[in-house]
Amino acid sequence: MLTERHLQIFIALAEEQHFGDAARVVGITQPPLSQGLRRLEALVGAKLFERGQGRVELTSAGAALLPYARRALTSIGELHQAAVSRDPEGPEIRLGLAPEVPPSAGAAVAAACGAAIPGSRVTVVSAPTSSLVGQVSAGRLTLAAVLHPAVLDGLEAGPVTLLPTWALVPASHGAGDGDEVVLRRLAGLPIAVRPRAEAPAARDLFLDTLALHRPDGGTVVVTDERAGLAMTAAGQAIVVTADPSLTAPGVGRLRLADNPLPVRLRLVWSRTRTPFLRPADVMAQLTDAMVAS
Amino acid sequence: MSARIRAVFEDAGVRGWMHAVALDAPDSTVEVDADTVVPMASVYKLPLLAGFGRLVDLGEVDPRRQVTLDPSTRTAGPTGLSLLADPVTMSLRDLAVSMMTVSDNAAADVLLDVVGLRRLAELLESFGLQRTWVRRGTAGNLRDLQRRTGLDDPDAALAVLADNDRTDPVGVYEAANGSASTPRDMTTLLRRLWTGELLSAEQTTFVQATMRRQLFLHRLASGFPHDGVRVAGKTGTFGALRHEVGVVTLPGGAAFAVAVYTLAARGDFRQPRVDAAIGEAARVAVDLLR
Repeated sequence: MLTERHLQIFIALAEEQHFGDAARVVGITQPPLSQGLRRLEALVGAKLFERGQGRVELTSAGAALLPYARRALTSIGELHQAAVSRDPEGPEIRLGLAPEVPPSAGAAVAAACGAAIPGSRVTVVSAPTSSLVGQVSAGRLTLAAVLHPAVLDGLEAGPVTLLPTWALVPASHGAGDGDEVVLRRLAGLPIAVRPRAEAPAARDLFLDTLALHRPDGGTVVVTDERAGLAMTAAGQAIVVTADPSLTAPGVGRLRLADNPLPVRLRLVWSRTRTPFLRPADVMAQLTDAMVAS
Repeated sequence: MSARIRAVFEDAGVRGWMHAVALDAPDSTVEVDADTVVPMASVYKLPLLAGFGRLVDLGEVDPRRQVTLDPSTRTAGPTGLSLLADPVTMSLRDLAVSMMTVSDNAAADVLLDVVGLRRLAELLESFGLQRTWVRRGTAGNLRDLQRRTGLDDPDAALAVLADNDRTDPVGVYEAANGSASTPRDMTTLLRRLWTGELLSAEQTTFVQATMRRQLFLHRLASGFPHDGVRVAGKTGTFGALRHEVGVVTLPGGAAFAVAVYTLAARGDFRQPRVDAAIGEAARVAVDLLR
């Protein structure tokens, strides 16, 4: 049976002319890509590519069939889109939240989404900024709250908003809970940061700012805030968070003077795939809800 | 094939567009969305130089003609005559050298006036560039930014674009609002300038020699840390836009026209990772083509 995946493999190989690169584009490894291509060639009864010396080139049959594959893949995308918009239960609003969005702020945006279109169903996923941007571009999400700055690649974006952050430090660190501290004085322990690939530009801005204000002390990579908090409780790290409720026994909360490391957020959406009649107005309301939470 | 270059752009936090082509084999190319029209920032000085060279060849412009630039009226900028306090008198061809080697905004706007927007558009079309539009010079660019930000001071207006805490004004990076081009059009122009089919031998030599003397080595040239590799280029920088187009010549003589346009996620004036990514993308492309 011919599937959407076969079409994706065909088109990616034609564009990349390289098995490894095409696999990367489709988001699979090379063996299933090769297997998928062989299946597709068996299904259409023609050899689509000449393989040799690291390069892959379309055969004349491949070149003749490529436009049909492109049209078919576009049609499948339109089918998904039409199915969503004709849903009798009301439109589905799929919201993505970056992990840096505090739980209360994410909840406020989701609630405001539901209020923006009465009768709508709101579903929410959490994923890193780079993944969310890709999902909004591909139409799998209606909108997402992502870290700024990020490469948005043609998506629409609402205003940049800044959430203040606190430093969570081990109680043994000596500072009193609720004190204000200058970043430079926050010495002795590494600051927990999430992996760079999740949002390269925003993470580099964070690290560059950190290095400017706090030349020593270093950083330690953690998978999420939960791990960072645990490391703080264990006396091993400092967490910088915009979440006003994140806490644990043995962990103190300090206000950072002049808010040097704000969490910058903005909502992104696709111009062509939004259920909102006046998206810019709605996004401004949602952004206000996120900040006010 | 372009996946490796896309990965370089992604890692640097930029949206990138690119076209690279071997000068002696126009069919072998490396492309990343090479037909997208992107605001070209100071890269417009390259088509302007080509147009100027053609008018010199036609005898319509005397390259030795002396012009006096007064500080009160010349265009602002971070380099060249834009920086000086007193009136300067120079020949048109020396203005062209300053425009290309240090991206002198004041010099470029004088040459744009000499060539003229309409005449330049005709010349670019005759050069086979179908998706390149020089709509205004640097002074016009700054005026547009001042209007969009509502700020009279050009430096203050540029500071808005550099501030990561502020939302960019609508339209500042829209290709339709200023001078714009595609990566493919710029490699076409470079290839024709290097094969000598656009200009006389004298003007061709002038263009190539001037571009080899460009002072900025942090973008394309940073990808080739070997003195045996020659890089002749022209950068473009405006807000979060970081570009360079140029010709890379390997020690054996093999030469490649490369155009890399980027729009960075961050707004900062100084973005060394992005500059280096432009060199890295160029190096990957040349390695694929050689």
